[in-house]
Amino acid sequence: MNGSVILETRNLTKAFGGLIALDKVDLSIESGKITAVIGPNGAGKTTLFNLITGVYPVSGGEIYFQGALLNKVPAHKRASLGIVRTFQHVYLFGNMTALENVMSGRHPRSSYGFLEAALRLPKARREEEAISLDATKYLNLVGLGTHADQDALSLPLGQQKLLAIARVLATEPRLVLLDEPGAGLNTLEKRQLSDLIRNIREMGISVILVEHDMPLVMGIAEWVVVLDSGQKIAEGTPAQIQKNAKVIAAYLGEDME
Amino acid sequence: MSSAQFVQYLVAGITSGSVYALVGLGFTIIYAVTKIINFAQGEFVMLGGLLSFTLIHSAGLPLVPALILSIIAAAAVGAAMYLLAIRPAKKASVVSLIIVTIGAAIFIRGIAGQELTKAFVRTPSFSGEQSISFLGAHIDPQALWIIGIMVVVTIILHLFLNYTMVGKALKACAINPVASSLVGINPRTMALIAFILASALGGIGGVVLAPLTPLSYQAGVMLGLKGFVAAAIGGFGSPVAAVFGGLLLGIVENFAVAANWGPFTSSYKDAIALVVLLLILLVRSGKLAEEERAG
Amino acid sequence: MLARLKRNWLYLAIAVVIAFFILIPFGWFLGQYTTLMIFIGIYTIVTVGLCLLMGYTGQVSLGQAAFFGMGAYISAILSRTYGFNPWLAMLVAAAMTGAFAYIIGYPIFRLKGNYLAMATLGLGLIMWILFRELSQFTGGPDGMSGIPPLSIGGFVFDTSFRRYFLVWFFCLAVLLISQNIVRSRTGRALRAIHGSESAAESIGINVTHFKVKILALSAVYASLAGSLFVHHLRFVSPQSFDFLASVKLVVMAVIGGLASVWGAIFGAGATRILSDEILLRFGEWDVIIYGLILVLVMIFMPEGLFVKLKEVFERLRLRYRQRGTEP
Repeated sequence: MNGSVILETRNLTKAFGGLIALDKVDLSIESGKITAVIGPNGAGKTTLFNLITGVYPVSGGEIYFQGALLNKVPAHKRASLGIVRTFQHVYLFGNMTALENVMSGRHPRSSYGFLEAALRLPKARREEEAISLDATKYLNLVGLGTHADQDALSLPLGQQKLLAIARVLATEPRLVLLDEPGAGLNTLEKRQLSDLIRNIREMGISVILVEHDMPLVMGIAEWVVVLDSGQKIAEGTPAQIQKNAKVIAAYLGEDME
Repeated sequence: MSSAQFVQYLVAGITSGSVYALVGLGFTIIYAVTKIINFAQGEFVMLGGLLSFTLIHSAGLPLVPALILSIIAAAAVGAAMYLLAIRPAKKASVVSLIIVTIGAAIFIRGIAGQELTKAFVRTPSFSGEQSISFLGAHIDPQALWIIGIMVVVTIILHLFLNYTMVGKALKACAINPVASSLVGINPRTMALIAFILASALGGIGGVVLAPLTPLSYQAGVMLGLKGFVAAAIGGFGSPVAAVFGGLLLGIVENFAVAANWGPFTSSYKDAIALVVLLLILLVRSGKLAEEERAG
Repeated sequence: MLARLKRNWLYLAIAVVIAFFILIPFGWFLGQYTTLMIFIGIYTIVTVGLCLLMGYTGQVSLGQAAFFGMGAYISAILSRTYGFNPWLAMLVAAAMTGAFAYIIGYPIFRLKGNYLAMATLGLGLIMWILFRELSQFTGGPDGMSGIPPLSIGGFVFDTSFRRYFLVWFFCLAVLLISQNIVRSRTGRALRAIHGSESAAESIGINVTHFKVKILALSAVYASLAGSLFVHHLRFVSPQSFDFLASVKLVVMAVIGGLASVWGAIFGAGATRILSDEILLRFGEWDVIIYGLILVLVMIFMPEGLFVKLKEVFERLRLRYRQRGTEP
């Protein structure tokens, strides 16, 4: 493999009581590429995301982001380091407009606090203007510019997912983890999603993608990692994975889409 | 402390603990089935006491019918509360539901104060006022009634939950609401039954407590809180744990006052339950946080 | 051009409202309501804090009266028993109450929903018991009297007329500060926490930190209101800070619209006027009505009465506009 490694895990393990969700997983995610993590249900894919973003503490092993140990970094600090994620259930901020959701994404790239806000000091006013402009930019990037002042939850699911992506892009990330971005989308929306993900890669951002939709994954992923029951059972290019006997066996235990 | 005093405090602790246990059972049942904390739980105890007093003294009913009617009335209020206040608000957020149950509690308390009585009331003891001598201590026979009835109720509840169709359905709903609705158990019916059960339990608590301790229309607040502590000690899980929690709280309360530790004079007695509450919440908060994450 | 016309009307409306408020305490206008308005102002300050905490950040406090009482008692004790300058006492009270909230905030906010509510309820009751029992300091269940009034130099705030302006000065300051916060990055972070804590954390918002800070701010507001309360009444007793008081504060916040800063005036005002009226006509039924209002509002208008009225107003306005543009 050429290029630098943006995220690395060594012996990564997560146990919930007696249940081992991830079992000594070694990963090496290349920078600037779209990597897909696939596997049957319960393989540990979302757990992996939760460990990388700090939602759960690690039970064993290490995670390195751009060479630095990530384990002890609190979840809310990871966004400013450049790691963000989207959620399977979207989790938009329902009490805000679409634009405000994206403006929230500017949080780690802005700095004025309670006092400046309370007194509307010049620093606050300047940063607010910048936040508003930047957020609009990201909203336009995903094609939702005209929906800026609409309530976030009034948008159809496909657009909500795009909004969630705009929100994470606004944090100016280095690494974006997309958790089942294609779930619930129709064919046209999935095509738009693929284009957007490629755009993200063009911006120099690394992408890790968890997806169940095989054509979608195989269409945009440059590298595929396969998990099953908490262990990595295979990795390679999409072509290699599709012919891998172990992968096929793992999936025969459940329906492939 | 002499052995007589020890027995005295122990019995007092088990007695009040039994009432807390009944309230705690109510909290546990409602929470298990509906995930709602019913802030009005203590009011049903108050209703049991005040209604039995009113029926005996104003309506002239004999003891046993008055008691039974009071319990039924408390259960009816519980059902009404569920149907009129809880069910319509079911889709609301946790905070909204909390406010709804508080509102219902205030409403019930206020109506009781206005329509029944504002005074402290005591009902006649079930078996006379002659205190029983036991290991040197003097025990009010009503205390034995309270403890005994609590034990009987707990056993009946256990049998109900584990050996009857309805009871088992209730348990199923508590363990897995989705799966149980798929096999035909209606969660709304189960919720109604849970409320009726809980308010009946509270009513029983009030009915047996009123002969021993004078109650007023405000009694529900602290009783509710202490019942909540009992349920919290029990982890809001099993009924038996709630009973254990209630008894534990009652005993700790009484012995802390008896031992005259620092600020724990009898006026601070209520604070003990609050401190226990905060300690439990603090200790459990780690576990609760994990539950929230995983859920 | 239409926008400029609308803006001029808005400025006019605001000017009228301000003039109205300024004229209220004058005997020839609405002077008999001065005391009522003082209380509304004081409770508005507490309510705004509660709105920020509950409405915007999505938390719950059933013990806010504890902070109100802390401000009241600390101000009373320092200024009366220890002869502190009342302004200094007010500052110390706010600092102490805020610090207390900050300290208990971290352990408290490990809890959510029902458990958080119970914890705040318990804390509120413990505070009330302390107010009642620490009689050497607080005067016990009968309270303390003889609390000095506030003054600036030789100008003493010893009439309701003067205290009205004092209270509403602070109230306005609190409202403006809170509005600024709500419309800022901080306000968005709070609303994000309410919307989804997981998502908020994932975009870099330190959820616990914000919750604790907003609790502390709401405590400072409540403390300030408590200080103004005792310097108005010149008397303090634990009865004003029991569980019912905390519930009434929640009612005010709910009616005003949990997520509305200016709605707090409406909430505090409506609740206060309602309770005074009901107390007048129906004696003790005010508590019962409270209960009923809580239940009904939460079932039918969880976003609050004020906000609902705004919605209705908006809808009527749109319909009026549509009709106006029909050929």
